[in-house]
Amino acid sequence: MDSSSSQEFDYLFKLLMIGDSGVGKSSLLLCFTSDTFDDLAPTIGVDFKVKYVMMDGKKLKLAIWDTAGQERFRTLTSSYYRGAQGIIMVYDVTRRETFTNLSEVWAKEIELYSTNQDCIKMLVGNKVDKESDRVVTKKEGIDFAREYGCLFIECSAKTRVNVQQCFEELVLKILDTPSLLAEGSKGIKKNIFKDKPPQSDAATSGCC
Amino acid sequence: MAKLEAKLGMIVDSVGNFFSGKDQLPWCDPDIVAGCEREVAEAGKQSDEFLQECLLRLSWALVHSKRSQDVQRGIAMLEGSLPNTSDPLQQREKLYLLAVGYYRSGDYSRSRDLVERCLMIAPDWRQAVTLKKAIEDRITKDGVIGLGIAATAVGLIAGGIAAAVSRKK
Repeated sequence: MDSSSSQEFDYLFKLLMIGDSGVGKSSLLLCFTSDTFDDLAPTIGVDFKVKYVMMDGKKLKLAIWDTAGQERFRTLTSSYYRGAQGIIMVYDVTRRETFTNLSEVWAKEIELYSTNQDCIKMLVGNKVDKESDRVVTKKEGIDFAREYGCLFIECSAKTRVNVQQCFEELVLKILDTPSLLAEGSKGIKKNIFKDKPPQSDAATSGCC
Repeated sequence: MAKLEAKLGMIVDSVGNFFSGKDQLPWCDPDIVAGCEREVAEAGKQSDEFLQECLLRLSWALVHSKRSQDVQRGIAMLEGSLPNTSDPLQQREKLYLLAVGYYRSGDYSRSRDLVERCLMIAPDWRQAVTLKKAIEDRITKDGVIGLGIAATAVGLIAGGIAAAVSRKK
């Protein structure tokens, strides 16, 4: 059965998507996991999807957490930062305030709630298909990424430009970071006949 | 021997997956529930609108909790507050959360009714679409298990009859 074969993976990584409401976090995720694009209803609370990928010759299980951008859910979504090996900060290149909020709100949220010192951050400027409406330049994105030590990419969930690359670059960087790699191998299911797992240490790997 | 162990492990795993069903809904740890409870307790002093927001977050946390008593409490809270909710957006959020609660507590038919109401309001609502698929998967699996039990029963009865007949002869 495919359920047993999908159990076999070398590493489990937790990725988190944050950013203002309406910048296209869920669209990016859906575009990456199922190749579709829709105008979506706002996310209620937190949502997540799993995707298996082969990268660098390794089988990876990606648990990608998609958070609501709306402020009223913020205290809830902040709980899901812990244990993430990668954080994707999304803004909309056609809405200036979604970019300024990255430093006003989202970078601060990461500082407050991320438990992972070495966690890889990725800045993503979405909706480049609306080039004529663009108000945030590529250079501004690059500068922000340099200041905050993040990777950077511009993409469009609608035309699918750079969406795969966005997740790939992030994951390759995680694979390149020994401490994150060590964490990623912890979540793997043990053979129950070989070693009895210690009393559920759910706190260390709280996802799925 | 080691090979056999691995094989057995794989079979147990896949059977386990079949019964537990890996759904694509988020889980909520007890400390998140506790955090939401604290917020609600402190919100009492502030505006009613803020209290409503806190209550919605608490019900989100409860129906996504790993503890069944939390899920039950979330369902009760939502059932209690739905009749007094007039805002259509809040109403459909609560319908969705209630559907999650019933799904997690195993009441799939009620969950499906609710999620269908959500989809009537917003046909392309992604989270509701995902939930509906999860419910249908569970109903199908339960159906398969039910069929298995029925087939076994029929087999046993037929075997009994056959044995009885052959003894008579």
